[in-house]
Amino acid sequence: MNPDKIDTSREAAGAEAPQGGTAPATAGSPGGEQPASPPAPAKRQVELRGLSAYYGDHQAVKHVGLYFAATDVTAIIGPSGCGKSTMVRCVNRMHEEIPGARAEGEVLLDGGDLYGPDVDVVAVRRAVGMVFQKPNPFPTMSIFDNVASGLRFTGTARGEVDDRVRKALSEAGLWEEVKDRLGKPGLGLSGGQQQRLCIARALAVDPEVLLMDEPCSALDPVATLRIEELIGELKQRVTIVIVTHNMQQAARVADTTAFMLGGELVEVAPTDKVFTNPDDERTEQYVTGKFG
Amino acid sequence: METRVQYQEELEQLEASALGGLDLVSAALSRTLEAIEHQDVELAQIVVADDDRIDGRYLEVHQALITLLATQSPVATDLRLISALLHVLKNVERMGDQCVNICKLIPLSGNEPPSDEEMVKLILAMGAQTKTLISQAKRAFADRDVELARDLVRQDDVVDDLNRDCFRLALEIGDDADRREWAMTMLLAARAIERIGDNSVDIGEQVSFVVTGLFQEFEDASHPSA
Amino acid sequence: MESASLPSPLPPVSARRRRADRLARSLLWTATGVAIVPLVLIVFYILSKGLGALSLEFFTTDPTGNFFGDQGGVKSAILGTIEIVGFAALVAVPLGVAVALYLTEYGGNGRLARSVRFFVDVMTGVPSIVFGLFIYLTLVLGGFGGSSFAGWKGSAALALLMLPIVTRSAEVVLQLVPNSLREAALALGAPRWKVTARVVLPSAASGIVTGSLLAIARAAGETAPLLFTATIVKATTFDLNEPMNSLPAQIFQDLKQPNDELVQRAWGAAVTLVAMILIVTLIAKLIQRRSRVQGAP
Repeated sequence: MNPDKIDTSREAAGAEAPQGGTAPATAGSPGGEQPASPPAPAKRQVELRGLSAYYGDHQAVKHVGLYFAATDVTAIIGPSGCGKSTMVRCVNRMHEEIPGARAEGEVLLDGGDLYGPDVDVVAVRRAVGMVFQKPNPFPTMSIFDNVASGLRFTGTARGEVDDRVRKALSEAGLWEEVKDRLGKPGLGLSGGQQQRLCIARALAVDPEVLLMDEPCSALDPVATLRIEELIGELKQRVTIVIVTHNMQQAARVADTTAFMLGGELVEVAPTDKVFTNPDDERTEQYVTGKFG
Repeated sequence: METRVQYQEELEQLEASALGGLDLVSAALSRTLEAIEHQDVELAQIVVADDDRIDGRYLEVHQALITLLATQSPVATDLRLISALLHVLKNVERMGDQCVNICKLIPLSGNEPPSDEEMVKLILAMGAQTKTLISQAKRAFADRDVELARDLVRQDDVVDDLNRDCFRLALEIGDDADRREWAMTMLLAARAIERIGDNSVDIGEQVSFVVTGLFQEFEDASHPSA
Repeated sequence: MESASLPSPLPPVSARRRRADRLARSLLWTATGVAIVPLVLIVFYILSKGLGALSLEFFTTDPTGNFFGDQGGVKSAILGTIEIVGFAALVAVPLGVAVALYLTEYGGNGRLARSVRFFVDVMTGVPSIVFGLFIYLTLVLGGFGGSSFAGWKGSAALALLMLPIVTRSAEVVLQLVPNSLREAALALGAPRWKVTARVVLPSAASGIVTGSLLAIARAAGETAPLLFTATIVKATTFDLNEPMNSLPAQIFQDLKQPNDELVQRAWGAAVTLVAMILIVTLIAKLIQRRSRVQGAP
C-alpha cells in the first residue's frame, strides 16, 4: 500500500502529537504553520507543507502547513467555502480530477511526498481512502460486491477477498446486520447502514489514512452517533481526518481541531483548547457562532 | 447578519442578574452592620427574612444558566463565563447566608448597649472595607478587569488584619466574665464578615478564569500571596 | 366538498377560475384526441388491409415474381430485414457506445468533444435517403467488394443512420450516472478505465440497451437507403455480399403493382414489419422497467 520508497521503520515514540497542551499553540499567521514540528516521519502520519490548491485562477487553499498524527482524529472546521473540503481532497489527489484544478506544495505520507514526480495516483488513493458526504454504494452491486469492489479494482486474489470483506464489515460495525444478506443490493440498506457500507468498502483495501468529508450530514442523529462511535474505534488503525460543519461533532469526535477561514489555516490545537480557550479571535468568533 | 443575538442578550441579562445579587448582598450587609451598631433586633430579623430574595435570585439564575448550557451548547468564552457565573452565584448565596448568621447572633447579645466601643468600631470598619470589596469585585467582573480583581487580595488583607485585631481584643475582654459572652458573639460576627471578604476574592479569581481561560488561586490558606 | 361542521375560513374557488380550468382541460383533451385518432386509424387500417394476407405460405415462401398465379410469400424479405438490420446493429451499437463513452468520460467539454457532439447532432437530422445515396455513390457504383448492390452495403447505410441515434441516447444515459459513483470508484484506487468498465457502464447498461433497441426499431423501417444499396431480390440469401431482399423494399415494390393480391401482400408485409418493430420496442420497455424495479436509480 505504501507508494513511497522512504524508510518507514521509524515509529514516532508513543505517537503523541505535541501540538501544545495548555501553552499557546497557534497558527496565527497566514502561513498556518504548526509551531511544534511534527515527530519524525512515522507510519500513517500525514504532513501538508505549503499546500495550495486552485480552481483555474481562483486559489481555494492558501499555503497550508498542517499534520495529522497517526492515532489521532483530526477535525477540520470552518464556514462554507473556506477550503476545507478542497484541502482534504488534495490529500488523496482527488482534487486534480476536476477539470482546471491543480495543487501545489507537498503532501507527505510516512515521509514520502504524494505529489512526487514518479508517484502513481492510483497507489496514492489505495493508501488514502475516502468516505463522502452522501453515501454512494454502487447501485448495480450487492453488499458483498460493494465491499469487495476496492479489492477487485486492485486485483486481489479471490481467496483473500472473502476474508477481507468480512473483516471490513466487522470493523465498520455492519457485519451482524448484513451477514445474512450479502447478496442483496447495497441500496436496500438504510442511510446510516449505507454509509457504514461505504466505510467498510474504504477499509477493505487497508488504507493508512481515512478521509471523511462530512460523513454524517445526510444522516439522522442516531446513525450519526453510531458512526462517531465507529470513528473512535477505528482511529487506532487508520489516521482519520474528518471535515465537518457540525462543531459539536468535531468536539465529540476529534483529538485535534483545525480551523480554516478563506483558504487559510487559522488555528490548530487540541480540541478541548479550541472549544474552551482558543487563541485566535477568529476561532473564538466562529465556534461561539458569532459568524459562519 | 448577526447571529445568536437572542442567546447573547440572554447571557448578558443573566450576568447582570448574577452581579445584581451582589447589590442585594451589599444592602444586606449594610443593614446587618446597622443592626450591630444599634442592637436593632427587628432590623436583624428583616435581614434574615430578606435572605429569601437572595436565595431566590440564586435559584432563578442558576436554573437559567443550566438551561442555557443544555440548549445553546456554549463553548469557549461563553462556556467559561457561564461556569464563572455559577461560581459567582454560589458565592453570592454564601455571602447572604453569612449576613443571616450574623443577624441571628444579635438578639443573643442581650438588649443592653454594646460593651466595648472599640470592638464595635473594628467590626464596623471590617464591614465597610468588605462593602468596598464587594463593589470592587462586581466592577472587576463586569469590566473583565483582571488587575482590579487581583487587587482584591490586597483589599482583603485589610479585612484579615482587622479580624486579627478583633481576636486580640476579644482575648483581652475575655478576662471579664460579664463581657465574655458578648465578645465571643462579636468574634463570630467578625469571622462571618471575614468570610464574606474571601467570597469576594473568589469572585475575583473567576474574573481571571473568564479572561485568560486559566484558573489560578490568587491567595489561599495554602498559597499565601507573595 | 361539503363541510360538516365549521365553515371554511378560506374563500372558495372563483367561478372564473373554474371556467378557465374547464376550458384548459377540454383543449388538452382535444389536442390529445387529434393526435391519437390518426394513429389509431392507421393501425386499424393496416390491420384490416393486411391481416388477410397473413398465412403460413406468407411466412414460409419467397416471392416468386409471378404476376399471375402463385406470387409466393415474403420469407426472403423478413429474413433479409433481420440480416441487414442485425449486421448494421453489430457495427453501429458498439461504435456508438464507444463514441458516447469518449464524450462523457474522457472528452468533457474540450474542443474535440464539442465538435464531435455537434457533428453527431447534425447527423441525426440527415434524411435517410441521403445515407442511401452516399453509400450508393461510394460503394455501389464503384463495385466495391466485388458487387454492386449488396446486403452489407445496406447495413452500412443503416449503420450510418443508427450511429448518431445510439450515440446520443447512450450519452444521455451515461451522463445520468451520478458523478458520485465515479468519485467513489476513483477514491478506491481504480484506474479510470476500470471506473468506466466496472461502474459506469453497468449502471448505464439497461439505458444503453434500450436506446440501441429503439435505434434498431427505427432502422428496420427505413426504405430509401435499402433501395439504393441492397435493392430487392426474390430469393432468400444469407450472403451479405449479394443483393438482399427486405420488407420495406418488398412493400415498396408490391404496392406499385396493379394486382390486388400483390397489393394485399404488401399490406401483409407492412403488418409484419410493424409487428416486428413493436416487439423490439416492447422488449426495450420491459428491460427498462425491470432495471427500475431492481432499485437502480
